[in-house]
Parts: sequence; structure tokens; C-alpha cells
Amino acid sequence: MNVELQINNSTAPEARFVTWVPSPCRIRVTDPSGASASTVSVKIAAVSAANGGAVGFRSGTTGALASSLTLTVPTNGTTVPFFVAGRFGQPSTKSGDVKIEARVGNTLVGSSQLMVRIRKNANKLTNGERDRFIAAFAKLNNQGLGRFADFNNMHKASGYSQAHAAPGFLPWHRAYLLDLERELQAIDPSVALPYWRFDQPAPNVFTRDFLGESDANGTVKFRNGNPLEFWVTDGTPGINRTPDFPTSQAPPNPMKEAQTLALGSQFRTFRGMEGNPHGLAHTSFGGSIQDPTTAAKDPLFFLLHCNVDRLWAKWQRQNGRFDPATATSFDERPTSRPGHKLNDTMWPWNGITSPADPTRPSNAPGGTLATSPCVAAPGLQPRVKDCIDYPGAINAAANMGFGYDDVQI
Amino acid sequence: MMAAKRKVAKKKVAKKKAAKKKAAKKKVSTRRRSTSASAPVQVAESTDDVQRLLKVLCDTGKLIDVRMAALQSLGAAAFSVPNFESVSADYIAALREVSTDSHEQLRRRSLGILMRNKDGFAQKKLLDGLKNPAKALLPPEKALQLLGNDAHAGAYSVARAIVKKPPNQDAKREALRLLAADVKSAPMFEKVLRDKNELRENRQLAASALHSLNPQKLQQQALKILKDKSDYSDIKATSLTALEQFGDDAKFAKDKALMLSVTRFNSSKTPAKYKQSARRFLSKYDQ
Ligand SMILES: [Cu+2]
Repeated sequence: MNVELQINNSTAPEARFVTWVPSPCRIRVTDPSGASASTVSVKIAAVSAANGGAVGFRSGTTGALASSLTLTVPTNGTTVPFFVAGRFGQPSTKSGDVKIEARVGNTLVGSSQLMVRIRKNANKLTNGERDRFIAAFAKLNNQGLGRFADFNNMHKASGYSQAHAAPGFLPWHRAYLLDLERELQAIDPSVALPYWRFDQPAPNVFTRDFLGESDANGTVKFRNGNPLEFWVTDGTPGINRTPDFPTSQAPPNPMKEAQTLALGSQFRTFRGMEGNPHGLAHTSFGGSIQDPTTAAKDPLFFLLHCNVDRLWAKWQRQNGRFDPATATSFDERPTSRPGHKLNDTMWPWNGITSPADPTRPSNAPGGTLATSPCVAAPGLQPRVKDCIDYPGAINAAANMGFGYDDVQI
Repeated sequence: MMAAKRKVAKKKVAKKKAAKKKAAKKKVSTRRRSTSASAPVQVAESTDDVQRLLKVLCDTGKLIDVRMAALQSLGAAAFSVPNFESVSADYIAALREVSTDSHEQLRRRSLGILMRNKDGFAQKKLLDGLKNPAKALLPPEKALQLLGNDAHAGAYSVARAIVKKPPNQDAKREALRLLAADVKSAPMFEKVLRDKNELRENRQLAASALHSLNPQKLQQQALKILKDKSDYSDIKATSLTALEQFGDDAKFAKDKALMLSVTRFNSSKTPAKYKQSARRFLSKYDQ
């Protein structure tokens, strides 16, 4: 007897990644030899490696997670659905560090290794997590000519108004980060984008082994062997970054997380965080991260923005703001600019350019948004409204396939 | 834990309220927040706020901390203030004005922002300063670094002169970095990479520059460095990383001399921080 476990309804190894959101899975009998009836009772349970992730199960779309599940599976090969989710507080540290085992009685009839892949605090990554992340990032950058060049170009002057100083700021950057994260995962599927908590000291982030240490001139230095030593943007190697705060001891001066979350329960007021803490986090440095059109040249940009997105996710959870149809979750007023209204598609993924229309950029780098082997959302050409309900709280199909280590769903 | 957190939050709210009262008396009616070390940073919410901050920035009668805080806030405004485009010409004009200020930190920051916006005025000032140090607004290493934001032929010739006769080592390094955007510099970077008398930091930069200008050449040189028993551990770690990240795995698998060199690197008295690169490389060929 053999069964097949399909994580995220897929047999592909790249799909064996889950978050806190229950992933739809299937089980089916692939070899019925030894079966005496038309169905067989299969018990599934998970085994975690030391410091590995933990998952729970449920049979339907609602209800609490259980540590095991008994399913009645037809022996004719028909699939039976079930759900797997990471246990909040127990994310994985590497690929396949949690294993689902399927048993008939005591006999193991199938198994699948998976990962609870979650965005974590950059300051607290294991060395392995850190090294895999920077290696994937360096590969994406490759000579400044790799796919990363698109991400650098997406954040330059021509697209600035599509993403800033208006309501679409948060949804646009959510899509931008996800696009990048999926490209990193295409290189190494065990990577999740880490976040830089700019309201806490992060001595492990600004080191020669991670994002580099700045000298008095603002030149960022890397340990020989840190793949980021090969970082190139726009033809020039290296990174310029001069922190205005002592990176090994203290955070910069933008408002703290508690204050940010207290900006108000309405999207209209919460999005004021674009100035403080977001803008001030950028300008607590000299160097490329200080200016909108050059900020994305510094890999730190993506960790800074990951924290901005995390703050939004935390605020969404605190106030129940997942429904794109309500103005408390997303309020497009007072803008009339394209890309900032609820039903608009977003540039550059929508490919819309116009040399004549001043509200449209002249180019659209990078093409459509990267797809995921795990989830279908937010689609190739995401609309603003596709980037609100990231955990699929209102509509399960909206699940964007990422989560944060300290944000419950 | 939760209670403690709440207490902190309460304190902050109280602080914020007090700050708000103060702010109400002042002209700029934006959210205020005092920072631990420097002057309070006001976040501009409108182009009017931006105009007021520009005045503070240019006011030489104000404390430098206050002016630097205004600059930080203006930078944030460039990200988040609606219709910032309508004041960006004024922003640039103010930055040009303070780029010759008596405070070096203000000159560094303002010229940095200008150069990242490819400002011709700043570019000319920096180049003039490199040619005639008496006129320099910034040390040569900073000027070269900023010129790298808009590298072009004029800057290359100045950078080449500095590489030949550097006023200090940092300036040489930044001149090299600037030249990494110039295709004609590839042979020079090959030389720097292999020169055992060169500063290792410059050799590391040369590897990165060569990877950008001629990746095949870097792969060739990296192989030679790894097989060279007399070369240094740090530059070997850089070379290994180049092979591991960007090289042809299948070709390396057949290169017995390479595998032997890397194995030796891994087992010799190589510092642990570099050995890790060898382990990572070898793990690819374990099976
Ligand atoms: Cu942005």
C-alpha cells in the first residue's frame, strides 16, 4: 500500500511550503496492494526535526488545527482533501524540516517533507537562514544584470508616482516585495524575505557577514566570501550607506511599532505611516537608501520595506482590516491617480506605459508578477484590491502565500 | 510582559501629548517626536511644510542639529508628500545652497542627494574639487564615491589620475570603484586582482568589478588564485565565492587540481571564517 500526499494540491517539490494559513492538500492511494476494502483508514501526523517547523491538520476549511488526522481514503485512487498549516510560533529554519507521515495501522504508507516558510526578524536568523538569503540575493543581482536589475529599475523615477505619496503605497510595495521574494525562492525555495525592525537595535544585520558594515566614508564592507561582495547596480560595484545611528547598539529615530499601530483604526489615517516611520527609516541613513529613486540599489531597502509591510499586516490583524470592499481596510480617497484606486491594476505588472500621458510611466520593467507553485494569488497583473487580504481571511483564494513570524492570522 | 509593554505605550502616549501641545504653538503643525540624540524630527505632510523645512535647512543662524533634522525630514517628504514634484526644484536649489555650507556633514548629505539625482551643478563642483583640492567641498574619497552615481568619461579620467597618484588609500579605492563602470578598465582590474602587493580590500573590489565587466576573466583568475599556494586566504574566499555563485559547476567537478586546492584550503590553517566558503563549495560536489 502506498499513498501520495499533495501539498498545496501539488506533487511538485517546490509546492511543499506552508505558512500560518491552512494550505489545501490532498491524499490518494497510488498503490492499493494489500487493501481488502474500497476504502482505507489513513492517519496523518507530523514529525519535526530539532528546531524544525511544526504543522497542524484539519479536514475542512474551518476549525482548530489537530496534531493528527484520520482520513477515509478510497483505494481506487480518488483524492481526499485536507488542510495543513504551520503552528504559530514554530516556523521552520530550513527546507523539509517537518515531515508528514501517513500510516495505515502502524505501517508507514507515505510521507512528505515540507517547510513552514515564514518571514522572520533579520536580526534573529540562524546563520544558515542568513547565508541562504544573501546567496540567493547575490545570484538574483548577478553582475547587476540579473533579474534584480528590474527591481532596481522599478523603483526609479519613472514609476515613482505609481507607488508613493498616495493610497496605493502599501499594496504596491506588498506586491513588489512578493515579486522579489518569489524570484529569490526560484533560486532557493527555502528563502523568505526577512524584515529589519527599524525600531529595535539590529546588531546582527549591519555586519560584514550579513548586509555589511559601513566605514566613515559610507562604503559598505563585506567579509570575503559573503556573496554580497559581488553586488553591482547600474554598473557600479558596492553599496553606499551611512547610518546616522550606532547600528550595533540602537535603532534610528522613526516612531516605534506601538505608536505606528496606534495611528488609528482607519486605513486613511494608518497610511500616514508612509512619512513616519517609513520615510524617516529611509532618511536615517546617508547613501542610496536615503532617496526614493536610488533606495532599491541597497538590499537593506527590501528588509526595511518588509517591516513596513509587516506593520501593515499587524495593524490589519489588530483591527480586522482584510476586506478590500470596506473603506476601513483600503480607502482610495482623495486620489485620482491610476494605480491607487481599489480596482486599478498596478504598474509595472500591468505593462501600461505611455509617453504622452503624464500619469503613466514610459517603461514597465520586469513583466508580470512572478507566480508561485503554492498559491494562485495575487495573479500576474495584480490589482490594488488583490493585495489587501494577504492571508485570505475574507476570501481563501486571496491568500498571497507569505506570513510573518510574529503576526497571527 | 504585556503589562510592561502597555506601561511603555502609555508613557509614550503621554509624551506624545505633551509634544503635541508644544507643536501646536509652533508654525509647523505636523506630528512631532523627539529623538534620543538629535533634534526633533518633524514629518512634513504637505508642500507648505516642505517650504518651511527648506527655510530651516538654509538658515545658517540655526543649530546644525536642527538643520540636519530638517534635511532628514525633507528626505522623508520626498517619499511621502503628495505633489512633491511641485517643490522639487526648490528642494534642489536649497540643496545646492547648503552644499557649500561651513558644516561638512551638511555638505556631504546635500551633495549626496544632489548626485543621486544626477545634478550637474554638484557633479561640476565635485570634479573641480578633485582637480583642484584647494577648492574641494569634500575629501576626495567621498567626492569619488558620489560621482559614481553618474559615472561618465570626464570622471573616469580624474579617477585614473587618482589611481596613479592617490592622496590616500580610501581615495584610491573609491577611484577604482568609479572605474568599474568603464569597460576599458577590465585589464587594470585583472592586474589589481592578481597583485599580491595590492591592498586586499582593493583586490576584493577588483574581483567584483571584473565580475561586472568581464565575468569570464574573473572565473579564470579565481581558478588561478585558488591553485596558487602563496596567495592569501581572504582573496581565496572571494575567489571561491565567485566560482560557487556564478561559475560552471559541471566544469569544476572535473577539475581535480581545483578540488585538491579547495580541500587543502579547507583543512589547512585557514581562518574559520574563510574555511566556510570552502565547505560551501565542496558540499556542492559531495555526492
Ligand atoms: Cu518605495
